[in-house]
Amino acid sequence: MAYAYLFKYIIIGDTGVGKSCLLLQFTDKRFQPVHDLTIGVEFGARMITIDGKQIKLQIWDTAGQESFRSITRSYYRGAAGALLVYDITSTRENTLKIVIGLSLMFRRDTFNHLTTWLEDARQHSNSNMVIMLIGNKSDLESRREVKKEEGEAFAREHGLIFMETSAKTASNVEEAFINTAKEIYEKIQEGVFDINNEANGIKIGPQHAATNATHAGSQGGQQAGGGCC
Amino acid sequence: MNFLRGVMGGQSAGPQHTEAETIQKLCDRVASSTLLDDRRNAVRALKSLSKKYRLEVGIQAMEHLIHVLQTDRSDSEIIGYALDTLYNIISNDEEEEVEENSTRQSEDLGSQFTEIFIKQQENVTLLLSLLEEFDFHVRWPGVKLLTSLLKQLGPQVQQIILVSPMGVSRLMDLLADSREVIRNDGVLLLQALTRSNGAIQKIVAFENAFERLLDIITEEGNSDGGIVVEDCLILLQNLLKNNNSNQNFFKEGSYIQRMKPWFEVGDENSGWSAQKVTNLHLMLQLVRVLVSPNNPPGATSSCQKAMFQCGLLQQLCTILMATGVPADILTETINTVSEVIRGCQVNQDYFASVNAPSNPPRPAIVVLLMSMVNERQPFVLRCAVLYCFQCFLYKNQKGQGEIVSTLLPSTIDATGNTVSAGQLLCGGLFSTDSLSNWCAAVALAHALQENATQKEQLLRVQLATSIGNPPVSLLQQCTNILSQGSKIQTRVGLLMLLCTWLSNCPIAVTHFLHNSANVPFLTGQIAENLGEEEQLVQGLCALLLGISIYFNDNSLETYMKEKLKQLIEKRIGKENFIEKLGFISKHELYSRASQKPQPNFPSPEYMIFDHEFTKLVKELEGVITKAIYKSSEEDKKEEEVKKTLEQHDSIVTHYKNMIREQDLQLEELKQQISTLKCQNEQLQTAVTQQVSQIQQHKDQYNLLKVQLGKDSQHQGPYTDGAQMNGVQPEEISRLREEIEELKSNRELLQSQLAEKDSLIENLKSSQLSPGTNEQSSATAGDSEQIAELKQELATLKSQLNSQSVEITKLQTEKQELLQKTEAFAKSAPVPGESETVIATKTTDVEGRLSALLQETKELKNEIKALSEERTAIKEQLDSSNSTIAILQNEKNKLEVDITDSKKEQDDLLVLLADQDQKIFSLKNKLKELGHPVEEEDELESGDQDDEDDEDEDDGKEQGHI
Repeated sequence: MAYAYLFKYIIIGDTGVGKSCLLLQFTDKRFQPVHDLTIGVEFGARMITIDGKQIKLQIWDTAGQESFRSITRSYYRGAAGALLVYDITSTRENTLKIVIGLSLMFRRDTFNHLTTWLEDARQHSNSNMVIMLIGNKSDLESRREVKKEEGEAFAREHGLIFMETSAKTASNVEEAFINTAKEIYEKIQEGVFDINNEANGIKIGPQHAATNATHAGSQGGQQAGGGCC
Repeated sequence: MNFLRGVMGGQSAGPQHTEAETIQKLCDRVASSTLLDDRRNAVRALKSLSKKYRLEVGIQAMEHLIHVLQTDRSDSEIIGYALDTLYNIISNDEEEEVEENSTRQSEDLGSQFTEIFIKQQENVTLLLSLLEEFDFHVRWPGVKLLTSLLKQLGPQVQQIILVSPMGVSRLMDLLADSREVIRNDGVLLLQALTRSNGAIQKIVAFENAFERLLDIITEEGNSDGGIVVEDCLILLQNLLKNNNSNQNFFKEGSYIQRMKPWFEVGDENSGWSAQKVTNLHLMLQLVRVLVSPNNPPGATSSCQKAMFQCGLLQQLCTILMATGVPADILTETINTVSEVIRGCQVNQDYFASVNAPSNPPRPAIVVLLMSMVNERQPFVLRCAVLYCFQCFLYKNQKGQGEIVSTLLPSTIDATGNTVSAGQLLCGGLFSTDSLSNWCAAVALAHALQENATQKEQLLRVQLATSIGNPPVSLLQQCTNILSQGSKIQTRVGLLMLLCTWLSNCPIAVTHFLHNSANVPFLTGQIAENLGEEEQLVQGLCALLLGISIYFNDNSLETYMKEKLKQLIEKRIGKENFIEKLGFISKHELYSRASQKPQPNFPSPEYMIFDHEFTKLVKELEGVITKAIYKSSEEDKKEEEVKKTLEQHDSIVTHYKNMIREQDLQLEELKQQISTLKCQNEQLQTAVTQQVSQIQQHKDQYNLLKVQLGKDSQHQGPYTDGAQMNGVQPEEISRLREEIEELKSNRELLQSQLAEKDSLIENLKSSQLSPGTNEQSSATAGDSEQIAELKQELATLKSQLNSQSVEITKLQTEKQELLQKTEAFAKSAPVPGESETVIATKTTDVEGRLSALLQETKELKNEIKALSEERTAIKEQLDSSNSTIAILQNEKNKLEVDITDSKKEQDDLLVLLADQDQKIFSLKNKLKELGHPVEEEDELESGDQDDEDDEDEDDGKEQGHI
């Protein structure tokens, strides 16, 4: 149960792209073809190992529907990582269809919608949040609408990590979550993240934190005494 | 306040003004004055009036106050006053000055003003942004104002906060405020904010609320802490109750472990303050929220496991057995323990092992049951114990067996003076206290729930009623008491027990019907037209009779299904029977009991239905109704269907068993396969080793062959099939040549001899002529060669021997291999039948096996070829041996010849010597006669040339002589 670090993730993206299925595959290693619409957010957790260290991932799977957008926005600030998911087979208007190239002119609004997600995330999150772009449903090759190269290009353009996954076959699902954690871990090693600020979505494990907590506690107590009297 | 008001009143408005006018003036000043000081003073004056003239200030000043909040943010003092004023007009909290009867009116006021305030959503957003102000005079009234807004119109305000960016997050920061007042009021604010709003609850949890609240509770001293702890606990409950996502987060965040210290309450009786009791009560409820039977089963069971693993359950059990614990805490602890162990085998097993610290130690279960059947204990406590017992037995066949076994004859006597659970239950069942009767009956019914074995076991229980009378069975005693017409709770309890007992147990039905008094009693009860009070009992009697029909296996001739049905039709009437049966589920307390497993009754009179029993009624009501309406033919059909169903069931169970067996087999086979794989690898290495060995043998064999070929070439001329016999043909030919040579030599010698003879004859005839013949033999060299040959043969033989030994070794190894592969081949096909997964594996293994087999076959062939070759060699050897023997014979003959010729030679030599002497003497005579002799030298030199090594000396001697 003891962990070296705890990372908070959020999963965002349009409705029906398979966010909840990705989470279920990652936490329970199973696939549920028919999934209820997520209401608000749902929670999941799992332990992983990076660089020989136990890392606990707490993941909040958000509802993709527009009506929940204001609720899900509340989760951006406290997350260290975000998985931005789209559906590679999607023919729906509101998911990423064609990201680059000439079609951009004809499909301007679709493009805007994906960038809206990113803008939204960047606006409400802390600046260091690691974002992984995920093209899900890679098992449905025959129905593919978005080329892998297009996803890669979009990710490159916006400084994201990219991966195609399949929640159904579990292909790349582990990797998506773990690679995001690796990126965060590297940022911690580089000193980019302020790990003592839990609002960043990162927490040090109990064994490390023990000293910090008592320190902060005594400090808080003193201040409280002063303020009250 | 009075002082302030006096000062303000005097300054701003004269006593001649009415309050409304004053307020109007103040509002004008707030709105129009350009000086901040002026505006501030006016707002302060409004604040002082706002409590007493709430309505007036509210109506007139609200707009202006909001305006101040918008425009005067730089001055925290005026903002503080404005917020305070708004708080006063909106809040219903401080009603010291308002009389009791006007409370309702003021509540209306509060909600009306709230409505006005939140009509503009920006007002709430403005308030949220003001909370970011660190100044105590702004933040504190801001918190209080927002709290009262939430209290007034929760859902609306919650919605506004939810959609305003970072709204909830900002409020969460209040928990980190170093000023305790703000932190504590922040907790109250969050309480109001999270009330029945799942989305907000989740966000608050996401913002680390659990961590912070648990920290606060720990800092404040857990249950010994003050009202802050209570507030935190209420907030935690808000966050967790009926929120699966948050419960999961709580469990995954390892926060359950942090609850354990809450219950480390010492045994000391000193500290049980009202606050501590409240805190502990809330803490226990929080535990129950996590393991509630209404949660998804998986969630509850994982929390139950965590609670056992971290020692929380153990801690709760020590409270259970501690002394001096207040009754309501004890009751709630029992309820909590109940839900922590419910349906969780590990926890149930642990609970069964808990002992009370009495002397001698008694099981906690027994101690608790003693309270249940004790009239003097509080009613809620008795209910809690019953719940605990039910939860202990829920899905716990082992526990059910243990409880029933304490009633069985074999185990009763031995214990003597210690009381067992079974004895307590029987005591309760037949005591004079109707509540004890009911509780004991329900408890016993739970020991039988879905457990056919225990239903049959319980039939064996015999009771000693009074001295002299024969023992009565428990079933009999239950029906006896039932027929005596006691209190309603006693009869309801017993009827529920009997219904549970008889359902799904034809043997129990037979036992029940065997008592001839039972059926008439039931029909009598049902048929009678009794008052409303008795309707429930009638319904239960109908249910019992229905069960006796439905689960009847027709083993009693007097009470076969058909007969019972006829009885109903005659005595009661089908319609009437069904109507009576329906009384149960129509009872007002029925639906109440069917909702929750916990027996929770407001007062003892409501103690009628048990939760599990309501499930049974739901299950049986329909089928019994059908069974009663069905004709005998249908019944028969039904019977058949039932039989086929049973058959199906048996088939299914058969298949289940088969699957289980196959699972086991699968496991075994998997292991076998792994061992076989190992063996296979070993065998393969062995095979490669053997192959290399064979190669070596082959090489050796080829070498031998070449050697043998050489040998046979030597012997070639002597033997018919030189290549076949192949041994020493060369040497034999050499020998032959030598012999030939010798022969020619001899012939030469003989011719010489003949010449000499003729010479001698000539000499004799004239004078005397000398003749010599020299014959030498090569027999010595010959024998050496044969010795060599023999040696070679011996080495060959030994090589052959070693080879044959190796071959036999190989053969045995091969035999082993074959056996293993056979075992392999035998075992391999079995998994192929069971599962496809295994099948593929086995085919793989079979493939390898066949390869192995192939290899061994090849090896075998090779070995066969080798052995053939060996036998060929043997034959060759034999034939060569025989040729050698022949040769030796020949050699012997030759030797004999040679010795013969030697003798002849010797004779000839002697003759020669004689002749020489004769010649010499003749020469001398000739010399004497004066004849010159010339042939002497010729003869002497020819002599020396012809002589062999053997005869050299002789020759020389002869020469010198």
